[in-house]
Amino acid sequence: MTLTGQYVAFFLFALMAITGGVFMINLNKVIHMVLSIGLSFFGVAGLFVILHAEYLAFVQVLIYAGAITIMMAMGTMMTHHATAEVLPRRKWHTFLAIISAITIGGFFLYGIYKITWPSEMAELNDNNVMAIGEKIFTNYVIPFELASILLLVALVGAIVLAKKEGDE
Amino acid sequence: MDQIYNNSYLFMAIFLLLGIFLPFATIWVIGPFLRPHNPTKEKISTYESGVEPTGDAMVQFNVRYYLFALLFVIFDVETVFLYPWAVAYDNLSSFALIEMVIFVFMLAVGLAYAWKKKVLTWD
Repeated sequence: MTLTGQYVAFFLFALMAITGGVFMINLNKVIHMVLSIGLSFFGVAGLFVILHAEYLAFVQVLIYAGAITIMMAMGTMMTHHATAEVLPRRKWHTFLAIISAITIGGFFLYGIYKITWPSEMAELNDNNVMAIGEKIFTNYVIPFELASILLLVALVGAIVLAKKEGDE
Repeated sequence: MDQIYNNSYLFMAIFLLLGIFLPFATIWVIGPFLRPHNPTKEKISTYESGVEPTGDAMVQFNVRYYLFALLFVIFDVETVFLYPWAVAYDNLSSFALIEMVIFVFMLAVGLAYAWKKKVLTWD
């Protein structure tokens, strides 16, 4: 295996995603957790770019790294989380966690090795955002409009819930 | 060599690295040579000639900030749909414009509802 730019980039982004995840679990302050999961989101976005899924990478940065992280940070600011929360670690839990992690990892590896990959690469559109746009707005109009209704319901529901709790 | 020049992500990576490097360089590498270093007690306070800050920065914020964050998320998702629409617009029929008008109208209804419920006012 030669050391191509793609290879180096994959390692960097995978390391970003994993580091973010590990820090998210191990840090004690909530705001630090939010920032580390933001790092993880950026790493995943980089992996999407490597896979030629530029649109997904854009969505990942805009929605997850942007909106979700900001919302979690806002949520942290509203609740009282000034003090670090340190839970006592139980040996029993650590043991069970290791067992389940090994099992799940084993299943994933088994599944990955079982797959027979197609030898030819699929035809990739150079401009896949345009391809996605054409598909959505010609073949999938109804789901697209349903998405707007879903967003409207979410917006109204969020306002109703937050206003009710804010007034009390 | 041609292949390297064709890879637009290489330029993006260089741009990103420079963007991260330049602020650090100006503050910690070049800055100390150019600016005088003469801190006094007033200068190193948080707001120079301002009010002395008291208490912790991690205070509980008003719930209204959260509502703005929620509105932001909803309209962020709208942007996700606007992007492929704008890119593919030339290849689509005029019906695509009507589709997007309906889509934006739905969210405008939501915004109007938020306005009516006084989410946007700050009292």
